[in-house]
Amino acid sequence: MSNDRREDDLFDETRLRRALRLEPAELPTRLDLAAIVARARADRPAFTAASLISTLVAGVAAAGLVGLIAVTLPAVAPALASDLFTAAIETLANVAIPASFLLNLAAQPTVPVAAIAALAVAIAYEYAQRRESLREVTS
Amino acid sequence: MAASVALRIDLPITRMASPVTFADGVREHQDEVYGVALRITGDREAALDVASSTFLKAYRAFDRYDQTRPLRYWLLRIATNEAISYVRKRGRELRRRVALEQGTTLADPTALPDAESVAREDRARIRAAVSLLPELYRVVIVLRYFNDLSVDEIARVTKRPASTVGVQLLRGRTLLRTALEAGR
Repeated sequence: MSNDRREDDLFDETRLRRALRLEPAELPTRLDLAAIVARARADRPAFTAASLISTLVAGVAAAGLVGLIAVTLPAVAPALASDLFTAAIETLANVAIPASFLLNLAAQPTVPVAAIAALAVAIAYEYAQRRESLREVTS
Repeated sequence: MAASVALRIDLPITRMASPVTFADGVREHQDEVYGVALRITGDREAALDVASSTFLKAYRAFDRYDQTRPLRYWLLRIATNEAISYVRKRGRELRRRVALEQGTTLADPTALPDAESVAREDRARIRAAVSLLPELYRVVIVLRYFNDLSVDEIARVTKRPASTVGVQLLRGRTLLRTALEAGR
């Protein structure tokens, strides 16, 4: 079965090669190399001119954009900077009000932060101990 | 005049001190480039156009061509791309022309029912079937069976993975066989 298949494939490949081969009648006349070169050179100035024009247009557009920014920026910048500054101050005030309460609490000499932390650690330790003893009783 | 033309054609070569001149490349590979264009487009006029534009592009890009790589693969790559573009642009008109050409080949009044004419008809049928394959398969089939390239070489020319080329060859052959059997 696979032998038949291989022979079939080989036959197809040979048949394909033979069919696709160029026949003498199909061969073209020699390509005119000089004409190709001449055409390439004739097309080149137009291509060069087009690329030069496109570079020029891009350059002018870029220069216009830079000029526009340079003219409008001084007029817009103070208003923009003032808006940004106001927004920054507002945000800072909103954050500072709740933060000041926490900071005051931490700075109180009567409530030392270290004491609160020690209390939290002690509670956690107690919890862990109880859980451990409970596990021993149940097992 | 001829000498000055030859000198001008050789200009890129002397400038780049390349081992292969553009003129040598054209002389050596023009039949192969024309052939691959003919087998992909299926039309002589189209193949000539494609071959000319291939060498035109090659001439323009010759100073950018990597001299360490074989010129043949580079030219075949340009030629297959040009042929595909041509087929895409003028597909309908081309198919009509190909059908007409195949029709006249098959209906040759001087043909006799001998082995030679049977073989000629068989070749014409296979060529027509190849020219009707989807371009994905047509290109690999032509590069394999017309240009005699290996799967790896086709992968280099088409810039497709070798495994993909292998699968496309298999699928292309199956499609061809189906088309030929249906045409019997």
